[in-house]
Amino acid sequence: MAPIRRRAVGRILLETVLVALTGITFGFAANQISPRGLALARNYFPTGTNDLVRVAANAVAPSDATSTNSTASSSAQQLAAQMKHEGLQVVDGHRVAQLFHDSHLKQGVVFIDARAEPDYQEGHIPGACEFDPYHPEKYFPNVLPVCRAAEQIIVYCNGGDCDDSETAALLLKDVGIPSQKLFVYKGGIAEWTTNRLPVETGARNSGNLRDTNQ
Amino acid sequence: MNAGQSFRNPAIVDLFTVLARWLLGAAFLYLGLNKALHPVEFLKLTRQYDIAQDALLLNLIAATLPWFEAFCGLLLLAGVAVRGTALTLATILVPFTFLVLHRALLLHAAQHIPFCAVSFDCGCGAGEEFICRKLMENFVLFALSVWLLAGRGHQCSLRYHLIPPPPPQALSR
Repeated sequence: MAPIRRRAVGRILLETVLVALTGITFGFAANQISPRGLALARNYFPTGTNDLVRVAANAVAPSDATSTNSTASSSAQQLAAQMKHEGLQVVDGHRVAQLFHDSHLKQGVVFIDARAEPDYQEGHIPGACEFDPYHPEKYFPNVLPVCRAAEQIIVYCNGGDCDDSETAALLLKDVGIPSQKLFVYKGGIAEWTTNRLPVETGARNSGNLRDTNQ
Repeated sequence: MNAGQSFRNPAIVDLFTVLARWLLGAAFLYLGLNKALHPVEFLKLTRQYDIAQDALLLNLIAATLPWFEAFCGLLLLAGVAVRGTALTLATILVPFTFLVLHRALLLHAAQHIPFCAVSFDCGCGAGEEFICRKLMENFVLFALSVWLLAGRGHQCSLRYHLIPPPPPQALSR
């Protein structure tokens, strides 16, 4: 009986290998054919950072109120140091609001929204250009001339753990936008709406402003 | 007839096995397609685990895995190479569950909240979930895969064995 069982196990193992190999081939082919497929040779994460490191760095014990400010400040410092290492600068929500509101300062400032299209359509900083860093080829023709003409470029995404703004800023840097012009707004759209600042829906300069005061 | 007696009835065992196969197949097809339709999101979530430092390798995993799961789901639904597919799924479920558990433990330690209150999108295709629920789901999927390995419930299968077993006469020789 033992040799029969051994042969049966052998058949199952062989079947498993065949299924795995066919599945991998199928997966590879499906990705190549799919219009949403990943470009295998592209480095989607030029930042090379890991979200978990940030989650851990930003995590604060709820009961430990005294350490809250120091932890937040050290996390902000770490972030700024990391950005500096990458040749980028960080800008805070206060400064971004100032740049947005002051018509004199606003001259030459461009906002870049580094989120996916549905998020952008749902609401972005008024006048911000759409630039999903995972599909750069789609947005470069519109975004690059605007960035080249700008004096300051504020790149943002959702805020929190999101690092798509960094990815987008590094992509812009890689295609020749001077890093002195590039600022990453880490608070992102979440902080923007929390601060009850206006949000534009639909296309860029659509004029459809959504009141975030409610 | 109680539950114990039901499971001694071959017809009921076969029916349960066919249902288990369909359930497992449908689950993997759904989870696989959910990821395959949002590959960039899946890529970002895969990156959380630090399983590959090389961009090409990470892209290959994120590009292939969702379709691989959907493919296995289709095989089970159609009843093709059932035991081989079940063993493949059981084999991939184990390391994935450990990766999810490892990340959950890190978040648990970082956030100072009860373990079962840890909730995150593990990249499993079902969005953000509480970790205890996720682990339970994976256990059920694993148990169903192992159940299918027993080789019962050949009904409604296009080709249960990819490599057919030798006829009984050959075995008795």
